[in-house]
Amino acid sequence: MRNQDIMLITADGKDVEINRNELAQRLGTARGYSNELIESCRERLEKIITYKCAYIRIPINRPGENIIDLGYMQVESRQLYNNMNGCQEAFAMALTSGIAVDRELARLRVLSRAEYFITDALASAAIDSFADYACEIMQNGASCAPRFSPGYGDFSLSLQKPFLERLDASGLLGITLDSGFLMTPMKSITALMGIRK
Amino acid sequence: MKKITELIKEKRVYFDGGTGTLLQEMGLPAGQSPELWNLTQPDKIISLHNMYFDAGANIVKTNTFGVNRVKFDNYKELITAGIECAKTAAGGRENAYVAYDLGPTGQLLKPLGQLDFEDAVSIFADNIRVAAECGADLILIETMNDSYETKAAVLAAKENCDLPVFVTNVYDATGKLMTGADPAAMIAMLEGLRVDAVGMNCSLGPDAMLGIIDQFRKYSSLPVIVNPNAGLPEMRDGKTVYNVGAEEFSDYMVKLAQGGADILGGCCGTTPEFIRQIVEKTADLPYKLPEKKDYTCVSSYTHAVFVGDDPILIGERINPTGKPKLKEALRSGDLNYILSEAIRQTDAGCHILDVNVGLPEINETEMMKDCIAGIQSVSDLPLQIDSTKPETLEAAMRMYNGKPLVNSVNGTEESMNSVLPLAAKYGGGIIALTINEKGIPDTAKGRAEVAKLIIDRAAQYGIDKKEIIVDPLALTISSNPESARVTLEAVRLIRALGVKTSLGISNISFGLPKRELITSTFYANALQSGLNCAIMNPFSEAMMNVYYAYRALNMLDSGCTDYIGYASAAAGETAAKPAAARTEETLHAAIVKGLKDIAAAKTEDIIKDSAPLEIINEHIIPALNEIGTAFEQKKAYLPQLLMSADAASAAFEVVKKNIPAGENDKSKAIVLATVKGDIHDIGKNIVKVLMESYGFTVYDLGRDVSPERIRDCALEHGCRLVGLSALMTTTVPAMEETIKLLNETDRSIKVIVGGAVLNQEYADMIGADHYGPDAMDSVRYAEAFYSKEK
Repeated sequence: MRNQDIMLITADGKDVEINRNELAQRLGTARGYSNELIESCRERLEKIITYKCAYIRIPINRPGENIIDLGYMQVESRQLYNNMNGCQEAFAMALTSGIAVDRELARLRVLSRAEYFITDALASAAIDSFADYACEIMQNGASCAPRFSPGYGDFSLSLQKPFLERLDASGLLGITLDSGFLMTPMKSITALMGIRK
Repeated sequence: MKKITELIKEKRVYFDGGTGTLLQEMGLPAGQSPELWNLTQPDKIISLHNMYFDAGANIVKTNTFGVNRVKFDNYKELITAGIECAKTAAGGRENAYVAYDLGPTGQLLKPLGQLDFEDAVSIFADNIRVAAECGADLILIETMNDSYETKAAVLAAKENCDLPVFVTNVYDATGKLMTGADPAAMIAMLEGLRVDAVGMNCSLGPDAMLGIIDQFRKYSSLPVIVNPNAGLPEMRDGKTVYNVGAEEFSDYMVKLAQGGADILGGCCGTTPEFIRQIVEKTADLPYKLPEKKDYTCVSSYTHAVFVGDDPILIGERINPTGKPKLKEALRSGDLNYILSEAIRQTDAGCHILDVNVGLPEINETEMMKDCIAGIQSVSDLPLQIDSTKPETLEAAMRMYNGKPLVNSVNGTEESMNSVLPLAAKYGGGIIALTINEKGIPDTAKGRAEVAKLIIDRAAQYGIDKKEIIVDPLALTISSNPESARVTLEAVRLIRALGVKTSLGISNISFGLPKRELITSTFYANALQSGLNCAIMNPFSEAMMNVYYAYRALNMLDSGCTDYIGYASAAAGETAAKPAAARTEETLHAAIVKGLKDIAAAKTEDIIKDSAPLEIINEHIIPALNEIGTAFEQKKAYLPQLLMSADAASAAFEVVKKNIPAGENDKSKAIVLATVKGDIHDIGKNIVKVLMESYGFTVYDLGRDVSPERIRDCALEHGCRLVGLSALMTTTVPAMEETIKLLNETDRSIKVIVGGAVLNQEYADMIGADHYGPDAMDSVRYAEAFYSKEK
């Protein structure tokens, strides 16, 4: 049984343009740099990638100093507390680019260092770009705080577990956690985004 | 009461619908596990079941979906109470059944995830035992979105109870499971595991399921279950509602029933009213269970491969017979080489890959398991598990993700008694060799008789003859001139028995010159005689020519599309090769620019006039140094550096073929590895080839190797010299960790380190015994090490 308030956003590789700045940063190149190999890796990745996002809109409370209560979990984090300043509600979201990306990376790992590295960078930039894409849809014009993820600063990574469970991320998105709270598929994101009144 | 499997033969039966919406209406807070109510609010759970029975459902799912020992310490109590609730509701009713509801663990299995397959089996097994003890009528494995986890759950059920097993998976908008399997693949695997009904649940609404019900009708011989969601959740007035109402939903269910769904019910968002309307609208529809299908097929975690008129290519390259490089990779545990062979054969157009790792000096079962897990993470082709040892076959069939092809059984009592029960338990296509106690019959008729014997014996195990693919054995014509004609005749006779055939094609030309000519001509003859599968070399142009031409000539290639694609690609390649060699680029420039193909072609060209070491020292290394310097000076980017490394590797592969391996001396051995986290291995590969040419036995563990594996390899082979390579600063700590572990294990093990980021000072700091600035230096150190020993 899944919680009944979860919404979904999906997209294909061609729907989401991979952010050039993000990509350049991960490849360690100048912005806008590309070559034939990068483009062929991009083309292959865009064919196999399937973006999915599950999110809920929830009220947030502040039962104490540096504590954010999401109703289903409490987060003690000064940085999140500051991030949520002025917000009475938030979007809690989980996003993934799908297991096919992990498989492609496993294959390239055997075949070519260059293609592995490039595709890994492309996929990281891609999931971030999809997060921007999905947030724009959720926001629908509303003003929001920057996304804030478990693992950033003092927002403990161990909170991934209740976070993902609440979003039925395993059932809806196929996101699972290992014992170190890392997600599979590798290119997945969880985040909170405060909604400013 | 009749068993549910008997009742479904007589009439359409119905599952219940969703629980979430109703329980939340009854006061279950969002985010709380509904299963806890089995203990705290059992009356509410019972009333929910009663509502569904009253609405016309025959089977209710127990409120145990998320319960397992990982999530709940009191899983036994929760399951027991859950089944008790359902049984209470079912009590006194006619045709009312309790399905023990088993959902996924929420963890992904290895190799992509972290949960071990056998651990998953064990988690599910604990649940199943409780459910069986408590008197559930059937097991429903549901909402599974991964084929591997589904297999673990089914095995657990089969091994721990005799109850009927129903399985429903979640297919998404593309008609596939989250991890990639389509209905045909799931049906192949689940029928092989002998479940009692298959189908789909949850996911999208009933309209989306209409899009894939055809595939169930086409492929399934088992009753088909359809339990959709009430469409998709939508936000309306601040509340979530599913967008398909009972009326619309039940109309779709009528269409689904007409399209091939036998057992109907609902999932998230559906209520007793949905079930009532489904029953009302479908109870009088004509009802007929699926007829038995006659497909011969095997599957992977994504798709099924059907063996029929269209020839099937089974890649033979992962088999050590006659392949020294593979033998060496197996001995040293170098999975990378094996995986790259798997990828190359996949790219070359194979449909199935044979996996044989039988070498007397290795643990075949463990190696087979490692190879299957590894290959299934880089290739989505079904695998042919190839071993003469039943224990190896069993271990591999068990952990294989999908329905494997099993190579092989033969007509001896020993083989039939050991292999056929495995196929009956795990499922699988079976290659049947026409060998009996007396050997291989000389005549085609004799071979067909052995085939008949195996088919009959398999039937006693409940294995249908569609699962059997007979290999009447091609023996070389160089020692047995009649062989080809006998084998071809045997193919015809065996096809007439109504089974499919396979041949290891290459054997036919053993011992003859220009083998490809004989092999490919024989292949054409065999196809004409009705051969279905060929175990063959997909890198042989002559063989691929026959394959594509045969399909074009026999109306198996509509519009000759595949043939034209193949022919133009082949023409392009022939033109490209000399062009690459003719290009003005020097080898040096090709490496610096990261042009892999040109670097290889150029090396082929110059190796005719240059010594191998000269090419390494005068072309490859200086080019790598140039790009390395450019990178350090920020004149080149990391992708360029890596492209150059790939190009240098390609060039080096060519050089390697031309370095004669020295006589392997077991007393002079070295373990080589690129350390954990590091995937750069060109330096290590150069050291390896040099070491081998100087007569060392090299245990090459590849790249990204854990400290433990390096230690284990050194201990296993009693090897006291280890070479470690790292190219990235970030992986030097892994090198240090490895040295520490080796020192702790045996202080007499000496470690040489090398790699771009290292120098003497660094090497001293991390406790290495020697720093090798280049490959030759490492060889000299190793020579000195072993001469001191003497």
